Amino acid sequence: MSTVDDPRERLEFLQGTLEVLILRSLQLGPNHAYGITQFLEQQSGDEFVVDNGSLYPALQRLLQRTWIAAQWKTSPHGRRAKYYRLTPAGRKQLVAATSRWQRFVEAMGRILAPEG
Amino acid sequence: MLREYWSKLCRTLAGRRGLAGDLDAEIHAHLEFEIQENIARGMPPDEARAAARRHVGNLTQIQEGAVDAWSFPSLESIAQDLRYGLRGIRRSPGFSLVVVVTLALGIGANTAIFSVVNAVLLRPLPYPAAERLVWLGESDPKAEGISVTWVNYQHWRNENHSFEDMAGFQTAHLTLTGRGEPLFTRAGLVTHGFFGLLGAHPMLGHLFNASDDQPGAVPTAVLDYRFWIGKLGADPGVVGATLALDGKPYEVIGVLPPGLHFFPQSIDFYLPLHQYEGEIVDRGRHGSMRLVARLKPGVPLASAVADLDLIMRRLAQSDPGPEAQHRASGVFLTESMTGDIRPTLLILLAAAGLVLILACANVASLVLARSTARAREIAIRAAIGAGRKRLVRQLLTENLLLAALGGMAGILLAQWGSGALIAAGPRDIPRLAETTLDWRVLLFAAAITILTGLFTGIAPVLTAGRTDLVSALKDSARSSAGRRGQRSRSALVVAQIAITLVLAFAAGLLLRNLIAAQTADPGFVPEHVLALELVLPSASYKSPQAIGGFYSQLERDLQGLPGVTSVGAVRCPPSVGDCGDWFYSILDRPAPQPSEVPIALFNTADRGYFGAMRIPLREGRVLADTVRPGTPLVAIVNETFARKWWPRESALGHRIKWGGPYRDGPIYEIVGVAGNVSQMGLGTEPYPEVYLPFSQSPDRAMVVMIRTGGVASSLAPAVRRRVAAMDRNLPVESLRPFTETVAASLAERRFSTLLLALFAVLAMALAAVGIYGLLNYWVRVREGEIAIRMALGAPRPSIMRWAGWQALRLSLIGAGIGMLAGWAVSRGLGSVVFGVSNSLTTLAAAALAVIAVAMIAAAIPVWRATQVDAVNKLHRV
Repeated sequence: MSTVDDPRERLEFLQGTLEVLILRSLQLGPNHAYGITQFLEQQSGDEFVVDNGSLYPALQRLLQRTWIAAQWKTSPHGRRAKYYRLTPAGRKQLVAATSRWQRFVEAMGRILAPEG
Repeated sequence: MLREYWSKLCRTLAGRRGLAGDLDAEIHAHLEFEIQENIARGMPPDEARAAARRHVGNLTQIQEGAVDAWSFPSLESIAQDLRYGLRGIRRSPGFSLVVVVTLALGIGANTAIFSVVNAVLLRPLPYPAAERLVWLGESDPKAEGISVTWVNYQHWRNENHSFEDMAGFQTAHLTLTGRGEPLFTRAGLVTHGFFGLLGAHPMLGHLFNASDDQPGAVPTAVLDYRFWIGKLGADPGVVGATLALDGKPYEVIGVLPPGLHFFPQSIDFYLPLHQYEGEIVDRGRHGSMRLVARLKPGVPLASAVADLDLIMRRLAQSDPGPEAQHRASGVFLTESMTGDIRPTLLILLAAAGLVLILACANVASLVLARSTARAREIAIRAAIGAGRKRLVRQLLTENLLLAALGGMAGILLAQWGSGALIAAGPRDIPRLAETTLDWRVLLFAAAITILTGLFTGIAPVLTAGRTDLVSALKDSARSSAGRRGQRSRSALVVAQIAITLVLAFAAGLLLRNLIAAQTADPGFVPEHVLALELVLPSASYKSPQAIGGFYSQLERDLQGLPGVTSVGAVRCPPSVGDCGDWFYSILDRPAPQPSEVPIALFNTADRGYFGAMRIPLREGRVLADTVRPGTPLVAIVNETFARKWWPRESALGHRIKWGGPYRDGPIYEIVGVAGNVSQMGLGTEPYPEVYLPFSQSPDRAMVVMIRTGGVASSLAPAVRRRVAAMDRNLPVESLRPFTETVAASLAERRFSTLLLALFAVLAMALAAVGIYGLLNYWVRVREGEIAIRMALGAPRPSIMRWAGWQALRLSLIGAGIGMLAGWAVSRGLGSVVFGVSNSLTTLAAAALAVIAVAMIAAAIPVWRATQVDAVNKLHRV
């Protein structure tokens, strides 16, 4: 949706990866939704574009699983925003998901890597 | 997963509103961040706001998506489906009404029949551990369920290892005097364990204990609730009072609470059985006692019966006699109470099931036609993104909703129908009056309703996702989907005609059977006969002379009434069944094996009886007045008896021995042969029967047949006055035209035939609606084609032939299948319903009737086909 004014084709999220990335973004500290978007787009070298239509439901799902918690706070610039932070359960989940992802990537890489 | 549901549930309970407001604030904060960022990059504020808006996306949609994450999607969309469904029902009230009424008929008929099946066959008997209660009798190589002799009962009760308890029961008729009008009463004679086995407790006083069972004990009685309320005015001081029964005083020791209905007839009071039977030492002396017993937990019935057989074998050695071959027989009490009616009810349930299938077929056909018409609507929904799963669910919900409405109407119908069944049903169906719509019946109704909803909805569902979007949207009107629907509907109509034919054939067979029974010569003339049933109390009529004197005086008196042409008495009138059969042998024939001793019905009749009933005498003479006690014993046999033993010669002069060669019994000389009567009910096989002269073996219980020249019932008051004039303490057990008794013997058959015929008519109506609907649609779809044919010069008759052939083809295919199925079904029917035999004529008649009904139903649409306005139609195309 937000790719309309961007000529470059960006990558779409694989199913379920957005939630892990949100957890990762919160590992550095509490953040609000916009902040999470910025973080993911910057960290991916602008390869990923975060669709708010996906981001918000994903945040709600993480809240339901109590992997993150939310709280209204005032930002350093004096704006009120809802801040999300990792819960201990979320931290555990992130570790597990990261290791699973790494195995996945290695496996994919072994198969896709050119021979020799 | 669980945690997720839990937090969703909490959120749902707390309300969605807070969440939506919170999200709104959050998303607006998000927007502000972007705007600020854009301004920081140097955009003018307006542009910054617009760019941020574009970048963030559709605010409402984001918010909805986030809120949805909290919802239970299935539940909420089901609510939405229900809303759509209701809207659909309101939008086409005609269609909905037809569907609901059709289903209500099908579901109502099934629920009503099932409510009877439930009450009569399924509901457990109202006794503790009723599933272990059994009914016991004796058996010999030829018969089961023979009465148990008192001596055998004592041995069984004391020596078995399989039963917790055992009690004997039988019934007796007694006359109650000393309390106003003399009353004819029915007593249950029971041993003292009876009430304990059935879990009955006294409401007043106490029940029998072992001492009441002792011979020589003070005669005691326990009153039934209804008798206490109705005849004794609910007297609270009744315990300790005395009842004069057959002239003998009985002390009332207790009153039962309402609700004990163990005996098929209503019982006025209970008396200890042993006391009534007296001291018996003969092991072969049979009364009419049967046993009720409770199996020990875990003991199978077969091994319990084997246990009793062992006792019988032992007794056969220690106390041999003519009944050394006798063993025990037992069935579960539930079965023994419902044995006869079970096949009839199951046949009716099956017929009702077929009617429901027909109703379903009609509804399925309607739904299919409608969904074809709705193909465009469905295509639009699919085009704007409704998934196949969701569409299917939506269609099914709509059907289930319609079915539920039909089911509710059906339950109302069943409420009324089961009332009608109780009122119309024969009196002797056990527990019929207890029919109610209890939870089992409602569960049944709910189950068939849901099945109906799924079944009728399945056809459109199968095609729903496969609808070709492009062609449907382009509105190439009745395209491929229409043709496919047409084929399914044709198949449904063929099935309907086949099922209707099966039902019509079965109903036809039963009807033929019933008519045959009603028109067959019963061997007597029941019209213009008033039957007076009397039982003389043993206390005041002790000697055979007293009994004989009473009846001959009564007959003389009745003979003098104006209009009376002849009078005669019999112990067991025709068509009421078997009032007692016994062993016999022919004196000049070799003695049969003990297990091969023949049985005949032994009846008692006086000399006027055969004339009064117009039973022809084939040979010999009636039992003349000259036959007096002390003279040689004589008997009249019926034709079946005579032909069985003397097919080529006269039976007169031959002698028969009562009880057979192995038992003591008098010898009778045959002096006459009477015509057969349908003893076991109209249309039944004749049975060997022996009439003993009343003058030689008088009986207290006789039915006096009074033949008149006019209306039988008009004589009743005069007859009552005569009886009272002779003995004012003698109650009249029954006084009614004999035609009523005869009709009652067909009550059960009439009931089942009527119901089956009703179902067949219902089926025909449903099939007619089905074929009408199909053909109507067929014509509507082809109006254009017909118009073109007409424009090209096809005459109306050829159009008519073309359309008519469609209806005839389906009818013929359906009739063919139905005839094959009907033939198979009637074989099964013949094995469970007496006297039903296959009949090609009936099958052909049923087939013709069904095809005729189908063609009549098709006539209107066929006629409409010929009325297509070709010019107009072609202009519009």
